Amino acid sequence: MSASRVQVATLIRREVLRFVRRPYNTFLPPIITNTLYFSVFGIILGSRIGTVAGVSYIQFVLPGLVVLGSISDAFENASFSVFHGRWEDYIDAVTTAPMSHRGVVAAYVSASAVRGLLTAVLIVGVGLVFTSAPVTHPFHLVGFLVVTAVLFAGLGVIGGLAATDFDNLTVMNQFILRPLVFFGAVFYSLDVLPPLWRTVSLLNPMVYMVDGVRYGMIGVTEIDPNVSLAVLTGAAVAVFLLNLALFERGFGLTE
Amino acid sequence: MSPPAISVRDLQKSYGDVVALDGVDLTVPAGSFFGLLGPNGAGKTTFIETLVGLVRADGGEATVFGHDVEREYRAARDAIGLAPQEFNVDRFFPIHEVLEHKAGYHGYSRTEARERATRALDRVGLQAKRDEQFSQLSGGMKRRVVLARALVTDPDLLILDEPTAGVDVQLRRDLWETVTDLNESGTTVLLTTHYIEEAERLCEKVAIMSRGRVVETATPDALMDRGTDRITARLRDPPATAPDVAAGDDRVEDVWMEGDSLVVTARGGGLVAPGLVRALDRAGHELVDLDVSRTSLEEVFVDLTDAGRGGLDESTDPEADALAADGGSP
Repeated sequence: MSASRVQVATLIRREVLRFVRRPYNTFLPPIITNTLYFSVFGIILGSRIGTVAGVSYIQFVLPGLVVLGSISDAFENASFSVFHGRWEDYIDAVTTAPMSHRGVVAAYVSASAVRGLLTAVLIVGVGLVFTSAPVTHPFHLVGFLVVTAVLFAGLGVIGGLAATDFDNLTVMNQFILRPLVFFGAVFYSLDVLPPLWRTVSLLNPMVYMVDGVRYGMIGVTEIDPNVSLAVLTGAAVAVFLLNLALFERGFGLTE
Repeated sequence: MSPPAISVRDLQKSYGDVVALDGVDLTVPAGSFFGLLGPNGAGKTTFIETLVGLVRADGGEATVFGHDVEREYRAARDAIGLAPQEFNVDRFFPIHEVLEHKAGYHGYSRTEARERATRALDRVGLQAKRDEQFSQLSGGMKRRVVLARALVTDPDLLILDEPTAGVDVQLRRDLWETVTDLNESGTTVLLTTHYIEEAERLCEKVAIMSRGRVVETATPDALMDRGTDRITARLRDPPATAPDVAAGDDRVEDVWMEGDSLVVTARGGGLVAPGLVRALDRAGHELVDLDVSRTSLEEVFVDLTDAGRGGLDESTDPEADALAADGGSP
């Protein structure tokens, strides 16, 4: 393995070990939260709602909950890791090393994307306790999950570089991520919205992610999945390039 | 001829209106043990952080072993091992993994990184603590970890920023023994310190910084030669007033009686003393004891930095002002 690859592999390993070795922080919260979601929205409310888009309500919300958990954890992992490293200055061990900026960004983004994907798998596992989890379009399912995890890991890196204290991270999560998620058609179909709000909803990238994963799992879609995947891939590449530019400029890292 | 370990020309850095580096020129020869002295806020840490990329200079050039620190940053950083003042160590991992990660960031495979971490921990005497986390260690051990992390890549240039601040005498001696061994095996050492006697004892050459500039570069001996030495000659039957025994020697600055001793202050006291002894003998004074105290590097340091600072007080130094403007957070 070349020296450059060893450098990137080392940083990915460090990042992944950081969350894997803290299972109570990493794996327990999504299990508990999604057990509650499935209990309330799937069992209690779902039994009154009946079917949505031809499937049971619990099966309808499952893809949305997978996306919700995955992107939240990808974002939070990247933003926390970068910001905590800056706060305690130990990120200097990386920034003063002979690593390429591209390698550093690739490592932070991919490690956080891995966390997002692990969370997605966990949520599917919890969902299987309550219902079946069909996979009708596996390539789309994997494609949407990977792209959304990478996109939000990249956004998390920006958050980690831009934050000036821990409250900033909370604000990003509560005031940016959560509204996008809850208006992202996780819990409802776009068909139930009036035409104006349906159009406004299409400005929310979450809608495309949830719709794409829903297509991958239960085969139901309201937007062309290939267009969604292409747009999200473009967004992920753009965010990666922005990450790269920020590291090259030393944004949040260099005086 | 190999390039110097560090070559810096007209290096400049400002934080708003505050000038931290005001055209620094400095060359550190490869293989040397070089001291960088200066009062708080002189710009020493800013200078070091410019070399490793934590600070981006506004102007000027800096190279490490011939590699520009911005254009060829990967080659420059690969040559450097930095032990900073702050304890900026990853607290999520046991210390042997912290060192393994650092070696990995420099491109060493996991197997080699593990071996290097073990050697570095041996070198600083922390093998028994390898599975402890940084936060569980004492202050002195933490300082050793920071040094071990700098050593784990076997750097060609070892930069030590106030490495003995707040450590006990034994640890300080251990650290200096380790670093001296490294220097003797070819590693260039750049040391910043407040402990002037350390620089005096260890460094082949020192640069003195004040207000963002290098105000002097010389060997410790050459610097001390510029100071005023003190010769104390105790006499058997001391006269009431100082005898005129130093007339005509323009190295002598002052002569006075202090109890039963004649005190002479002079530049190059060691050279003045023999003539003084002969003059006392000729004048019929019996010498009981003679002491020549060389000026200390500290006194020369204070003179130079006072001159560089123009007599300004601490609150006017660039780094202190920059930190204050930044809310006090470095």
